[in-house]
Amino acid sequence: MKRLLAVVVMVLLLLSLFVACSSSGDSDVSNEASGGDRSSSSDSNDASSDEIVEINFNHRWPNEPRKSFYDQKIAEYMEANPNVKINVDAVLNDAYKEKIRVLISNENLPDIFTSWSDSFALNLVSSGRIMPLNDILAEDPEWSGNIMESQFAGFTFDDVTYGVPFTIDGKVFFYNKDIFAENNLEAPATYDEFIAVLDALQAAGYENPLVEGLQNTWAISHYMGTIFQRIIDPAVLEVDYQDGYGEFTDPGYLRGLEVFQELATYMGDLSTAITHEDARNMFGNGEIPIVYMQFAEIKLVEDIGGVDFGFFNFPAFADGKGDPNALTGAPEGWMLSKNAPPEAIDFLKFLTSAETAFEFTKVDGQLNAIIGAVTEENTSPARMEAYEIILNASASAPWFDNAVNINVADVFMRGGQSLATGQMTPEEIIKDAQEQAARLSKE
Amino acid sequence: MIKRRSILIPVIFLLPSVVFLLTFVYIPLFQNFYNSFFSFSVFSQTKTFVGMENFRIFFNDRVVPVALLNNFKYAVISVIFQVAFALVLAYILEDKIFRRVAPFFRVVYFMPVMISISVIALLFGFIYNPQMGLLNSFLELVGLGDWGKPWLGNATTAIYAVIAMSQWQSIGFIMMLFIVAIQKIPKDLYEAADIDGAGKIRKFFSVTVPQVKEAIFVNTLITVTGSMLVFNEPYILTNGGPGFSSMTMAVHMYQEGFVKDNMGYASTLAICIFLLSAILAIIQIRLSRTGKDD
Repeated sequence: MKRLLAVVVMVLLLLSLFVACSSSGDSDVSNEASGGDRSSSSDSNDASSDEIVEINFNHRWPNEPRKSFYDQKIAEYMEANPNVKINVDAVLNDAYKEKIRVLISNENLPDIFTSWSDSFALNLVSSGRIMPLNDILAEDPEWSGNIMESQFAGFTFDDVTYGVPFTIDGKVFFYNKDIFAENNLEAPATYDEFIAVLDALQAAGYENPLVEGLQNTWAISHYMGTIFQRIIDPAVLEVDYQDGYGEFTDPGYLRGLEVFQELATYMGDLSTAITHEDARNMFGNGEIPIVYMQFAEIKLVEDIGGVDFGFFNFPAFADGKGDPNALTGAPEGWMLSKNAPPEAIDFLKFLTSAETAFEFTKVDGQLNAIIGAVTEENTSPARMEAYEIILNASASAPWFDNAVNINVADVFMRGGQSLATGQMTPEEIIKDAQEQAARLSKE
Repeated sequence: MIKRRSILIPVIFLLPSVVFLLTFVYIPLFQNFYNSFFSFSVFSQTKTFVGMENFRIFFNDRVVPVALLNNFKYAVISVIFQVAFALVLAYILEDKIFRRVAPFFRVVYFMPVMISISVIALLFGFIYNPQMGLLNSFLELVGLGDWGKPWLGNATTAIYAVIAMSQWQSIGFIMMLFIVAIQKIPKDLYEAADIDGAGKIRKFFSVTVPQVKEAIFVNTLITVTGSMLVFNEPYILTNGGPGFSSMTMAVHMYQEGFVKDNMGYASTLAICIFLLSAILAIIQIRLSRTGKDD
């Protein structure tokens, strides 16, 4: 009986294997056949269209709605170009940073992939494995002219452009309008007003009026970046942020850390145990009045529903030397590997075309650098307001973790956690940062 | 002729494993040792010779003592729970009274071993969640709400929360190894002990423990060297935070290498981890004098 059962199971397994093999074989054949047909009918590029070109495509959104959006775009592109096969791989944020770092250390860099701007991009470029795009951009002005000129800066090093910006962003405080109205509060313009608002909210029963997911160290870096930009003389920052030249001796850094420490007291114990996503969800559910968020998150908050929210930029410091109206936020875009086939360039143009971008705004909600892709027609009033803020910002400041060397950034990011848990003092963190900077300048 | 063949055949049989060991263990080990004297980045192919600089950084690195202490805590707690407690568990499950239900409990205890560590870490992330976590809700339910904490966000509790998860996961594995060892003990030893009027506890200390001495040694070795290398649990649950309060040596090495791009220093850390676990293994082998019994 047992033996019979075993035989039946084996036969079933073998059969299913056989069926699977043969069906996949079939689809291969039909694919090739259709590719062949097309080449003979269109009579162009006989040689190349006969063979399938594979493009490796990496992005960092395994989460919805963007994953489905790109999956759909890939399918559309492959349908229009049967000779191209796109292999996609998606890994989230921090893991993506690490993955790209590992991939770039050998020849396995994907043909087309997403990248942050500034120092993250510069690091990739320094490997010598990224394709310069100046000629490609110049050759097709119809496509490249449609991309906001200002957003290329973070991808351009020594006048060579290595990336095409796509999404644009800005970081501001989101506040719950209803809670503010109930307590007769107004969006603060200065840091002192901000502290007064936080105190008032605490008095009104909101134990943690400002919450952040400090488990995500990048969220800390966003705070630090903006605080330093507001407080410290831009000329000092420019020197300190340059890899290998930084000293971090300006007293403004200490003041900045003290500001963060003060803000962390309003965030409570809870903050070091949650992620930024948790903080956003708490805001979306009306549990907390204020969270420091990116415009990219507007749709996510809207989707939770039920909260009427507004924005205010990081308040100005009375003694601040930086531009109080600058907006922290940098574009993300696409890069090509040096060895990418011409089809990957074509796919890049497809991804950053006006049509794709228009649909992207509608489906995903994030604002982007393609001119005419964000209109009242395909976005919400809140996002339209955000778009105006980005376009009208007096200056834009890059994300701190992309602006400075990661060794220094890490001192401040982990230091932020230690400040919140009371494990370190601002002075100790500054000392660590100066040591790291000194080590980097020696190299 | 015959003599030559007889040497050749064992060599041929050994060759594949030697080649694999060389390419995947020994050559990388030496390469790593070599790398630890250089400063280099994954982004470029050039290496700069820095001599003992990386070792100087190692001794001045404020993360290292914290990480070592955490590894030490990991080792001590793991030996207590995974070796001592697992042995007790195995003994209980092998007892006559539990004979009927033992297979069921064996599966129950072994189940966590078969679940991927990422899944377990996600699960414990929910358990430790400060707002809706099971642990805090449970404490509240039994009237100990004051004990509730943001377990992973508190610098003192974070490492213990991580260690606790490991114990939950690994105890079943060590228990299984002990069960096998206990089953090998000749039954007449227990019968003799019964005739002498020994109770269950006496039999445990006088028969079981001496008989599974070898297994105790192997399991201690596995847990202690394993706790020097622990990476997944802290990496997924806390990423070494808050600050670097739950950092372990392996997470620190990974952070230095792949996050901060100091490949040379990461190699130095790797060498130190290797030396530490090798020393620990040698001490244990010396102490238990294994292999010299027969």
